[in-house]
Amino acid sequence: MSNVIRLVWFDLKPELRPPIWIIMEWTVFLVQVSVYGAIISQLVTNPIIGDYSQFFAVGLVIMITFDMASHTGRHFVEHAHEGRLPYLLSLPISRSKLFLAIALQGGAELALMLAVPLTVTLVIIGNLSWVSVVACVLALFFLGFGVAGLMLGLSFIAFKSSDLYTAFVTGLSAVIIRFSTVLYPFIILPPQYASAAAFSPLTYGSDLVRFILGFDPSILLNPYFAAAILAALAASTLGLGLFLVQRLVEGVKSA
Amino acid sequence: MYAVETKNLTKRYGKIYALKNLDFTIDKNEIMVLLGPNGSGKTTLLLILATVLKSTSGHARVMDIDVNTQPTQVRQILGIAFQEARGFWRHKPADILRFHANVCGIPKTKRDTLIENILKDLELWNARNKLFMHLSGGQAKRLEVAKVFVQRPKFAILDEPTSQVDLRGKREIWAQILKLREEGSTILVATNEVREAEYLADRVTVLDEGKFVVCDTVRQLKDSITGGDIVELEIDTPDAQTLRQSLSQIEGTVKITNSGENRFKAYVSIAESWVPRMTDMCYRSKAHIRSIRVTEPSLDDVFLHFTGRVLREDNR
Repeated sequence: MSNVIRLVWFDLKPELRPPIWIIMEWTVFLVQVSVYGAIISQLVTNPIIGDYSQFFAVGLVIMITFDMASHTGRHFVEHAHEGRLPYLLSLPISRSKLFLAIALQGGAELALMLAVPLTVTLVIIGNLSWVSVVACVLALFFLGFGVAGLMLGLSFIAFKSSDLYTAFVTGLSAVIIRFSTVLYPFIILPPQYASAAAFSPLTYGSDLVRFILGFDPSILLNPYFAAAILAALAASTLGLGLFLVQRLVEGVKSA
Repeated sequence: MYAVETKNLTKRYGKIYALKNLDFTIDKNEIMVLLGPNGSGKTTLLLILATVLKSTSGHARVMDIDVNTQPTQVRQILGIAFQEARGFWRHKPADILRFHANVCGIPKTKRDTLIENILKDLELWNARNKLFMHLSGGQAKRLEVAKVFVQRPKFAILDEPTSQVDLRGKREIWAQILKLREEGSTILVATNEVREAEYLADRVTVLDEGKFVVCDTVRQLKDSITGGDIVELEIDTPDAQTLRQSLSQIEGTVKITNSGENRFKAYVSIAESWVPRMTDMCYRSKAHIRSIRVTEPSLDDVFLHFTGRVLREDNR
């Protein structure tokens, strides 16, 4: 077993012993869809959207992805503060493999958290096929990497003050979710909200996943454009985030 | 070839120098103790050698491998026990050691026996299946050093290895460090505890404010202090200041310091000839001597001598 896999498993094992957080996340999702989703879909009867509970279920999957990805980024910063990161940095593993292990661990946690919500969503929509599962997982992972990279990129704030970082990220998260197409389609957004939503990575993640799942393309952004934005976001923020974090933790750039 | 060699090693955080132009060497199979107060740059040096931190300028080589250009190779031959054991809250000691041994390439055939022996030697066996977050401070520290003892690296770095550990635990850790050296490892220990330094060190390097102060064997360092003997005095006198001045004028006195109310520490050339002169002076000035104790200098005194500062209050 390679050291990358060892690292991923070492971090993942306590999460599964027992997997309380994962089961809680699944339960919350099921309650949200079956209670809130069912009720709100009675109120939202816009013919552009169709069955709102399906639209809502995808939105919840996107929000779980966002939460998990931002948690991975924050987790990394906490490791630096708690003294665990220096230990990992001292292990006989190259930096690229170490960061790969951290990313894979985040990905594995995301996959576990999404297993039930994504399956239930695909069942509700009636599109449970291997192609849609693989395409959705890929789109969600790109979104996850982008968000995790964004959180890592912001970690320079945490090296000054972890309280400030938490406050900033909480505020940013609220804005990124609200000003996006997670819970409502782009075409019904008022112009001022729509222009803000164009800057949220969740807009592109939501619309791409909905396109894959067969939602009406006329209410979504161009899927190729969305895919390109997500790929560019993942590559740029993850690259920049890792570069900054490496410089900060190794003290090349003083924090 | 040295096991460790640094040249002009400098580490700067903004305008503050944690290390400044440090030239420093460790011989192979040597236990080098870094001695210095908090903030003297000990941990920074250790972290640079362990490739966790990057230096601002200068060079450092471990077993002739450059820490800046070949960090992964350096990490393959070194093991480090950090000052504070943290960050494994939901893991168990046995799992932590097993993971560490696996990542460091300890063969499976040796691994479990090695871990069991170390856990038993460091009195962690009964806590092996507790969560890390439930360990006491001393147990967590012992677990931190246990990683190095399981790994048995060519170059071991231990940052304050016995802080928070009880006396029995300290002795066991010291014994393990000496055993590691017997097996051929080169060891660098950072501490601000003089007993630890005196017990372990082949040589001691004194650091202060990020700068190299002096490096030698404990014996040589003690002998290098002008005034090789120390006389500790407790004298009843209404005027301590005048008495101190009088004591400093006795022939053979190098330095007099106050170590408490009516307590003095006299650094003298030869105690045998100085003490009679001192008693005579006290008799004439009607000062009442309550106690006299002649000692040899400690590493605290060495530090005080070379830097003019006290190493650590509780060492006194």
